[in-house]
Amino acid sequence: MRRRLVIAAAGLGAVLVCGTLLLVTSGEAPQAAQGVRETPSQGDPLTPEEIARAGEIATAKNHLKSGQTELLYVERDDDKDAEQARRAEAYIYDYSTDTLIVRTVDLGSSKVIEETKGRGVQPPPSKREELRAAELLLADPKLGAGVRQSFRKAAGRELASPSDLALRGLIFSPERGRCAQHRCLRLFVRLPDGTFLDTSRIVIDLSAKRVHTLEW
Amino acid sequence: MSLFLRLMLAGLLIAPAAPPAPARAAQACSSPYLIDKTLPNGARWRLCWEMRTIEGLTVTKVVYTPKGNRPISVLRSAALAQIHVPYDSGEPRYHDIGSLGSAVVALTEADCPGGERAKGKVCLTTRPRGHAYLKDGWGDPDARESAQGQELVVLAAYQVGWYTYISEWVFGDDGSITPRVGATGSLAGTTTAPKHGWPIGVGRKHFEESHSHNVFWRMDFDIQGKTHDVVEQYDFSGSGTKKRSMTKRTLKRETKAVNGRMRWWRVVDPRVRNGDRHPVSWEINNSDSAEYRGPSDEAFTHADVYVTQYRACERLASENVSPRCRRSVDRYANGERVTDPVLWVNVGFHHVARDEDADPMPIHWQGFRITPRDVTATNPH
Ligand SMILES: [Cu+2]
Repeated sequence: MRRRLVIAAAGLGAVLVCGTLLLVTSGEAPQAAQGVRETPSQGDPLTPEEIARAGEIATAKNHLKSGQTELLYVERDDDKDAEQARRAEAYIYDYSTDTLIVRTVDLGSSKVIEETKGRGVQPPPSKREELRAAELLLADPKLGAGVRQSFRKAAGRELASPSDLALRGLIFSPERGRCAQHRCLRLFVRLPDGTFLDTSRIVIDLSAKRVHTLEW
Repeated sequence: MSLFLRLMLAGLLIAPAAPPAPARAAQACSSPYLIDKTLPNGARWRLCWEMRTIEGLTVTKVVYTPKGNRPISVLRSAALAQIHVPYDSGEPRYHDIGSLGSAVVALTEADCPGGERAKGKVCLTTRPRGHAYLKDGWGDPDARESAQGQELVVLAAYQVGWYTYISEWVFGDDGSITPRVGATGSLAGTTTAPKHGWPIGVGRKHFEESHSHNVFWRMDFDIQGKTHDVVEQYDFSGSGTKKRSMTKRTLKRETKAVNGRMRWWRVVDPRVRNGDRHPVSWEINNSDSAEYRGPSDEAFTHADVYVTQYRACERLASENVSPRCRRSVDRYANGERVTDPVLWVNVGFHHVARDEDADPMPIHWQGFRITPRDVTATNPH
């Protein structure tokens, strides 16, 4: 019974916000028309506009040291017990405390409605993190020189920037050791001739900004 | 109820303006995310797809309508939950999910024969699946019954390191669902000692390292809604004798189940009945797994089918992404009472490379079957 009342209230909130938005955008006729046409259905993926808005809302409330926290990505919240609402989950990582922060944004009310935090929880790396990991790898005196040399051999030219490399990162999250708490990843690095660097033993610790080599 | 309330409120507030809301509200998703396909024999599948950042291709709100019958909802959502790749020498050990959504490979027309490439990333097509049935007429051509089956395929491909994974959701015109993953692309190229690999270079120099692909799927079954669904496990005793006797175990609590050659499971809703008054169910078979078992810190590999109580934040079988939930499926399955079951199926493939694998590597598939059991009183097709 109580639950039903809550849902009804939430529904009312969403409708009110909807009305406000219509009023705000009514001055710009073409955009408003477009906005109405693009209204996603409940189960549709988030639109680029919703992703951008959810990211802004989730990080606006972020009063932590900037530069240490980063928005990884935004994912639609598909909780079937909250189907009436259109929600997004923003994954934010705080490298200074090695904490993952997940903020649930209600796109109807444009508010953060829930926040959960945890240490030792590592969602997949973002594109920016892959690039930063490659930068750290290239900055490593020995390994970096090796990457540049391999690139030169494969491409017949000098590596200009990390974005010249085709990158894919996977989380390295062992039960023990530094990477049990830090945000560490492994990189797959594809060179222009289609070969891959042997990076299976290389781990890039984004929290400590260090590269280390595994031994086995 | 709440939807009705919302619509009423919406009506009150936005006054008597044109009412597109009810139509939209009735629809779970819209084009190009809505798939609604009636196959030639009259079987109809309706579902939504989404390319999620982490899990990649996810199908939701899957509804099956057998010919001449009412629609039955099957899955609320289903997606890959992990691809665990441990190498035989012990290292490395990869968890290939992975922001699959950003590893997605753009598909060409050739990748999606006769189909439609939704957003350029997801192929929606139909293809033949061989005989649906064949029954001889004993000399009477009119009594002969034979039909060729078709299936609806929803697929996406991901580039994860050297490998390309193709993930398929196959919806048959017999009401079956076949989730499967194919591994192709290139081998890792890692060399190892002869006991951990196979020589794929000239002579006996390059021993490519053997490894496993342990693929996990997460499926939230909701047969006509989330209430009353129950998971049962079936076994047949009497091995070594002439008789086989069936035993049924109802999994009332969260369970870590292992495969048996004749064992199967079903998700059944006792309140949803077919014309024979038998409860509607979907059966899960997992008989093609290599049943990889890892060390104690990889306890998620220690069972083949997990049954857990629905929890939105339990998304991956290992390396789960939510601080609100535990980290792996073996820890989700901790004995809680199950009122809304989620099934996790683990299918392992042990990949011992061969000369033919280089290059490009011929695709190797792994998956399992979900078949309707008593959804209709007879074969509707
Ligand atoms: Cu393989």
